[in-house]
Amino acid sequence: MTHSMMPERREGPVDPMPKSPHPLEEGGGPRRPETGSPDKDSLMKRMRKVDPKQAERYRQRTGE
Amino acid sequence: MRLFGIETEYGITRDDIPEMDPVVESMELVRAYLEASFERRWDYAGEDPHEDARGFRVSGLQQDREEDEFAKVDAHRPFSFHDMKSDLVLPNGARFYNDHTHPEYSTPECRTIRDLLAQDRAGERIVLRAAQRRNQTLGGGHIRLYKNNTDFHGHSYGCHDNYLVSRAVPFPALVAGLVPFLVSRQIIAGAGKVGTEAQEFGHVPGRYQLSQRADFMEAELGVDTMHNRPIFNTRDEPHADRRKYRRLHLIIGDANMCEYATALKVGTTRLVLNLIERGVAPDVELDQPVTAVKQLSRDPDLKAVVRLKNGRRLSALELQECYCEAARRELAGSDEESEWLLNEWSDTLRLLSQDRSQLVGKLDWVTKQWLLETFMREERIGWDDPWLASLDLEYHNVNPEQGLYLGLEADGKVWRMTTDEAIDEALRNGPSDTRGGLRGLCVQRFPDQIKSIQWERIQFAGGLRTHDFDMGDLFNPQEVRRCMDVFQYAHSPADALATWNHRKDMET
Repeated sequence: MTHSMMPERREGPVDPMPKSPHPLEEGGGPRRPETGSPDKDSLMKRMRKVDPKQAERYRQRTGE
Repeated sequence: MRLFGIETEYGITRDDIPEMDPVVESMELVRAYLEASFERRWDYAGEDPHEDARGFRVSGLQQDREEDEFAKVDAHRPFSFHDMKSDLVLPNGARFYNDHTHPEYSTPECRTIRDLLAQDRAGERIVLRAAQRRNQTLGGGHIRLYKNNTDFHGHSYGCHDNYLVSRAVPFPALVAGLVPFLVSRQIIAGAGKVGTEAQEFGHVPGRYQLSQRADFMEAELGVDTMHNRPIFNTRDEPHADRRKYRRLHLIIGDANMCEYATALKVGTTRLVLNLIERGVAPDVELDQPVTAVKQLSRDPDLKAVVRLKNGRRLSALELQECYCEAARRELAGSDEESEWLLNEWSDTLRLLSQDRSQLVGKLDWVTKQWLLETFMREERIGWDDPWLASLDLEYHNVNPEQGLYLGLEADGKVWRMTTDEAIDEALRNGPSDTRGGLRGLCVQRFPDQIKSIQWERIQFAGGLRTHDFDMGDLFNPQEVRRCMDVFQYAHSPADALATWNHRKDMET
């Protein structure tokens, strides 16, 4: 299986919080994630591009 | 440690034709993922959604009148049942198929939250890749896929979380222990929704609520999944040795985009199942759970209280705190993952009451509400503006160039608990300690010899007879790893099975 069509996504946060020294960083459970303060500008541009009638047109059949 | 997995039905739309045929589009999408032609291999013998865990079998399942009409049309389509379903089993042990006109990705069975997150995210990339290939055929970006649960017209589709449970646990104890937890779990796991809706009257724009699915919960208990949906689904389809195990099949949950929300949704449910097994789940019983699930969902301020059978009134936060405190008392220090979950669960409940802004990028309903309220201020629109339902939908778009959640993720503004490397690995292989990984290994090594395959069994063709590989009780992780070693290096499935059966005979 190839994944050449998979778009690259950035991994690291722009303004990370300090990492927790929790032992799970190296252990078997989930790692504590990093985050930054939300920055709205690029998202607002993307949101304005959304067609206001998109949901009105969107029809699905009932699933489970 | 128990096994768990997530099934996600994706919404699908095509914008270059006036009326999309959802059966054809879901079929074509699933098949677009294949590099070879489709071959029927999924074995439906292990599936019987009519069996009810309360000890009886129903003669039929409910669906609404509209779906009845669709079913009549489907019966005359020029496809067989198996063609329509187009079941694929992938090299990571996942199932990818057309379920009720929705492309569905079911993760392989996982033992750790970390594996589950990687497998769930791998599912997003698999459906995206299928859509990209389908779009190449169609000559444009016409297919869009949504990891959500509603079409804003009264039609819902599911994201089910599943848990392997010992059949020794009394069924009434599961119900009593889980219902108040599930009713209140939406304050952590809700994906957020603009407006209210129901199968009967469609969508009413307006107030924001915590959950996509709460509006569709109509019963406390029941075997149905498409109509009269229950908080606690009683389908008894274990996909394992029926004498020993149940599969808890929860249909109340939303499809989460936030990895952190998925981790807490499944992780806290796992902890509560541990409490129930030990007989120490909180003793709370809701007076009207179906009313409560809607009432709590429609209160994003988290001030609403619901009545218990004993007359007390508790908020969703208080209900969750009951469970979290019981889990801390009983399960603290049991293993690293449980410890992480206990800390994050209690931190999240604290932040929900004190400083919700810190949960942006961690919980979907909080993240979506923040996005929409920011947009409303910028554009000077109110909750009744239809644009908001469209933005709600696009939050769940799995295309990174369009989706609002994935836009936040690309900007590094959400909590990641996976890495792209882990997701790539999850695309290639299932977990190394569950039968899901073993199933995937068989698909990788012996694709042409698989005659039929399902969750608990693989039938290999070979010579004059078939060879059955039964995984209905293969849950011990060390045993799984030993079995994987055998299948990894065997020349043929027959050799692998002979070696494996011989080893088991020697051990007994």
